[in-house]
Parts: sequence; C-alpha cells; structure tokens
Amino acid sequence: MKKDGKIWIEGIDNELHGETLSSTNLRDSLKDKSSIQILPEVWVVKIGGQSVMDRGADVVLPILEELVEAKQEGVNFILCTGGGTRARHVYSLGLDLDLPTGMLARLGASIPVQNARMLQLLMAKHGGIMAYPEEFEKLPFFLNAGCIPITTGMPPNEFWEKSSAEGVIPANRTDAGVYLLGEFLGAKGVLYIKDEDGLYTDDPKKSPDADFIPEISAKELIENGQDDLIVERIVIEYMQRAENVKSIQVINGTKRGNIKAAFQGKHVGTLINA
Amino acid sequence: MSEFMTGDGRTHINSGLMRESLVSKKLISETNKKDVRRMVPDVHMVSIGGQSIMDRGKDAIIPLVDKIAELKHQHKMVVGVGGGARARHTMSIGMGLGLPIGGLARIVGGVEENNRDILQFLLAPHGGITFVKDHFQDLQLFLNNGMIPICIGQPPYHFWEPPAVEGGRLPDNGPDVGLFLMAEVIGVESITYIKDVDGVYDSNPSKNPNAKMLNTVTARELLDGDYDDLPIERELLRTLENARTIKSIRVINGLDPNNLEAALTGKDVGTLITSSRHEQ
Repeated sequence: MKKDGKIWIEGIDNELHGETLSSTNLRDSLKDKSSIQILPEVWVVKIGGQSVMDRGADVVLPILEELVEAKQEGVNFILCTGGGTRARHVYSLGLDLDLPTGMLARLGASIPVQNARMLQLLMAKHGGIMAYPEEFEKLPFFLNAGCIPITTGMPPNEFWEKSSAEGVIPANRTDAGVYLLGEFLGAKGVLYIKDEDGLYTDDPKKSPDADFIPEISAKELIENGQDDLIVERIVIEYMQRAENVKSIQVINGTKRGNIKAAFQGKHVGTLINA
Repeated sequence: MSEFMTGDGRTHINSGLMRESLVSKKLISETNKKDVRRMVPDVHMVSIGGQSIMDRGKDAIIPLVDKIAELKHQHKMVVGVGGGARARHTMSIGMGLGLPIGGLARIVGGVEENNRDILQFLLAPHGGITFVKDHFQDLQLFLNNGMIPICIGQPPYHFWEPPAVEGGRLPDNGPDVGLFLMAEVIGVESITYIKDVDGVYDSNPSKNPNAKMLNTVTARELLDGDYDDLPIERELLRTLENARTIKSIRVINGLDPNNLEAALTGKDVGTLITSSRHEQ
C-alpha cells in the first residue's frame, strides 16, 4: 500500500521516517542518544611507519618483544601499522602527476598493508594474525583464541577520501584510521608508538631546541597554530566530537618499558586530551 | 631513479616528502595544486533519491528508467542510488540498540543494495550492470561496452565513519556524499541529484507555501544560512566546497524525467549549487 505517494507498510514508521536527515531540528532531537562499547577491554596500538618500521630490526624487534610480553601478561590489543617512507614516495609520485586526493589515498593504502604483513610474519609464533577490515566482525574470535590481530592503520576510504580545503594529500591516513577504529570499538585506549618521546613545539628531528609537551588539550593544540604535530591534524578534530576515546597517548617505543607502562595507564609520553 | 638515503637511523627514499612529517601545515599548503587530473571526464553521475524516488514505486521509477535508457544513446552515465525508508528504519532500530556511528554506517548500505539491484534488474535490457567498489577501476570496461553501471551511494567508510559534525548520532556521510566522491575521482562532466522537489528552496516547501526556489546558490551560502531542512546532505555541501574537479551539482525533480535530459545537456533546470572555492 502507499501513503503520500510512497510505499508504506505497518512498522516502517519511526522518528526518521519521511525526514531528510539534513534537518538540524531532527538531529538535535537525537542528541541525548548514547552508544554501546564494542570491545571495551581492547587497546588499539599503532606502530609508526617512518618512526618505527623504516628504522628496521634494531627498533622494530625490541618493540615487538615488549608487545609480546604485554600480551603474555594479559593485555589485549590490536596492532595497526603506518606507512612511512614508501607511502611518502608514492604520494610524491602522485603529486608530480597531479593525481586527485582519492587516488592518492588509494595508493597510500597499499604500504601499511605491507608493513602489517611484515609484522604478522615476525609475530606469527606469538599468535600474530592478519585481520583484514572485511574480517573485523571476527575480532572476538581472534582475541579469544589468544591471537594478536594485525591490520593496516589506513581507513578504508581510498577513492572515497575527500579533498581537503588545503593541499591534496589525504587528510585521513593511518593515525586517523587507528583513532577511528579505537573510537568505533569503544577501546580501552589508543596508543601511538613512535621514535620520539611525544609532542614537541616543532619537529625535534629538525629543530633540536624544540620543547617537549607532556600533556595538551586538543583545543590548545589546534589554537596554538604550531606547524608540525606528531599526529595527523584530523585526529585532533575527531577527538573533539568523539564519544568514547577522549585521550590518546604518543610514546617512544625505543625506550624499553614505555609500552607496558602505557598499558598500565601510566603517563610516559604525550597525552592529548579532547 | 630514486636514491636511498641513510645516516639518521632510517632508510629514506629521496623524494619530495622525504623525512617530512606529512602533518606540517607548510608542507600541506605547498601541495595546494589548482587542478588535478580526471579519470573519465566524459561521464555523468546520476543520483537517484531513495526516499524521494525509489520509495514511490513504479509511478516514479519506471518513467525515469525509460528516460535513462533513452539518454544512454547520447550520454555515458553512472547511476547511483540511496536507501530511503529502509535506510531510516535501519538507523532508527540501530540507534535504539545503541550501535555506534561506525556500526550504523556499516549496516546502512545493505538497503541501498536492494535499490541498486532493483534498478539493475529494470535497466538490464538496456545494459544495466551492478558497479561495486572492487570494480571501480573497471569503469571503462563497462562504459565502452555501452553499459550503465549502477552503484550504491553510501561511501565505504564502514566502521571508520568519523564522529558526526552535525548533532545527533547519525553518520554525516550518506549516499549523496558517496556518489559525489566517486564522481570527484572520475572527474565527471556533471553530477545530478534526482529528488521529488523542483530544487532547493529558501524554506521547506511542504511546510511553507511561500517558500521560494533558488535557481543558483553556493554551497557556502546554504551552509551559513538559516536552512533547517535541505533535500541533500549537509556534508555534501562541505565536500563540494573542498572539491577540485567538480565545481557544481544540480538538484532536479525526477517526477518529470525530462528534467534529467535537460540537466545532462546543461540546461538551467532545478537548482545549481556551486562551490565558492571556484567562484573567482
């Protein structure tokens, strides 16, 4: 049967029925809804691409060793990888060819998958397993089996990555993907493992005089206009409107003990708070 | 040839972004190109509303399908579709169960697939074919064989749907945005949103009889103005403002299928929404 010219059946009416979803009044009326946490006991951990993977065995292996110890001590986490130097190279090539943002995001997606596969091979004997985005509904199975799910940090946007107001490099890269995954899962925390102690007032690799910032709010970070950040800018924006993950920590994984301390809730790097 | 650079403990490939944090504002603005390349520039993206067209059944769908079949001889088209009443039902039930925004975004595409499959079935005699994410790069195979690729609109952000800019717990990104983003990479000649209203009005025409239709308006004006309700997603306007290859979108009334023909031939029909980025 039809009602107002549209197919109508008993039960199809609801608060969104017949609405455009663009209505600000409608959206305001839904404000007080809250959502469940999907995997609240699980950490989402990013292994930096340029900062960890590209530094090779000397840096990567001790970090994996500490992660395996944490796993054996009962910490559950999903490991995500960044892209690093090869991602920057393919972005440079794409920029040289005037490719659009969606295409750059597609290209950038391949590299973290390579890094994830490397980690899986290294961690297989400790339960490292590839968890592709299409298999995320099996995460409880992987975790209950005592495995360490390893996946790409890149969100699945690819050709659907939006152009940014400034520049053509995709705004959502692996930091953003890792953050959004943690936010979706309602994770215990989101941890970024890099090769710096955390955030500085400028890139410490280029400005040795830059000051360390142990803790900062997302708002301050956006307002202080500093040119360089240790995480993708869009993560800071997401944090301000997020429901679950209101704080992230960036730590130096090259200092033994930092990872396990962070899992215990200790402040060992830079905390960025919404 | 790329050179390998070492010496700071990392192996770098000597490229323009070498050793750079891609987060630097300076670096990002240096990549601020005016133009980017288009993939298949002679294509039109045609978006069919879920609630506005599909939910109306054969009275609205069949004349439009016949028109698309006729226009196929002059124009290459990709047809996309939204979810309509079932998408709203999905989100209403999902929200009630407390699913996070990424959960809603993951499941809502399922009902768009219904609508895509219906359109594919109806257009099959004229070359209608399903066009899914994994075959995005096969687009030319379909077009050069005279087919009409038909896809869903919802972008595949799935669990990675960002926290909403707008109030409420609904995803910002819906089928209008998803089809726009495909069109942006394709670099289409035009993108047309087929709805059941003549265009965008200065207020909701079903509630205010004195509402006036806007012939042309910038996305920025619609975002900044006092428009409680719009026939298109608000995020579509924000996306259009930043787009590089697409400078405008058109909203037309598909209850008269001749409007689609007019839109594809560049006639002034419905509302043309332009990006203020490209105004000068």
